[in-house]
Amino acid sequence: MSLSGAVIAATARPAAQRRLVSPYNPANAVTASRFLTLPPFVWAVHHGYHQLATLFILICGLLDKLDGLVAKVFDCRSQFGEIFDAITDGICYGFALLLVAWYGWAPPLAVALVLGLGIGNTALRFVYARRAGRALNYKSYAMERVVAYTGYLVGFATSGMEVRFFYWLFVPIMAATVLHDAKRMLLDAVP
Amino acid sequence: MNVMSDVAFKWFITLLTGGLAGSWFVYDTINLLKLRGADGRDPLVRDKRFGYVMGLIIGVVGIIGCLRFHGVM
Repeated sequence: MSLSGAVIAATARPAAQRRLVSPYNPANAVTASRFLTLPPFVWAVHHGYHQLATLFILICGLLDKLDGLVAKVFDCRSQFGEIFDAITDGICYGFALLLVAWYGWAPPLAVALVLGLGIGNTALRFVYARRAGRALNYKSYAMERVVAYTGYLVGFATSGMEVRFFYWLFVPIMAATVLHDAKRMLLDAVP
Repeated sequence: MNVMSDVAFKWFITLLTGGLAGSWFVYDTINLLKLRGADGRDPLVRDKRFGYVMGLIIGVVGIIGCLRFHGVM
């Protein structure tokens, strides 16, 4: 089953077990609004406005925290929402990292390693969903922390805060987390 | 185009990073302590322990980065 098929199945099939949640809900709207921070972010980086670029990526990170809260308040948590949130994280932070590396604000090799590990982790999540036979977002306590750090990585680059220190220490942290999660997603039993 | 002075911005990002890293360190320390008596054979417990340890490491890295930024280390 393709992932999109699995998403539909997961949101439609367990109707008897749990409430059906429309993908057009306030939490997903907040998640989608994070993309709106990218054009001004690009503009700020292109013009060398470090403080504004930091501000826009900070807003993107705050919206990431806000969507979870909105989902709780409006009781609209769903498998689709979790996957959409993870995809949005990947696109926003991945794009922002590429951009700061392109403009020479971050070490390109460290960024390439981080993005490579991120893509590898995403591929593993697809494999995990296939093993489960449904859209199942793998919950990783370590990766939650690593993703938050990734958001900060962009901020370190835009603000010029100990860039090399933070980037090069992040690579082994992320590698260890991806290896740990790979073992769980590929070898351990699916719940 | 600046939102604030360079000195204010430096302190703003230091407090943001240091504040989050410090509270993260405390939060995951408490989480780890809560798991002391949990069954280590349970994959979920192992996953939580690993995640909290990563949180501790990230917290320490954040605090050290802030100190380096101000020339303390």
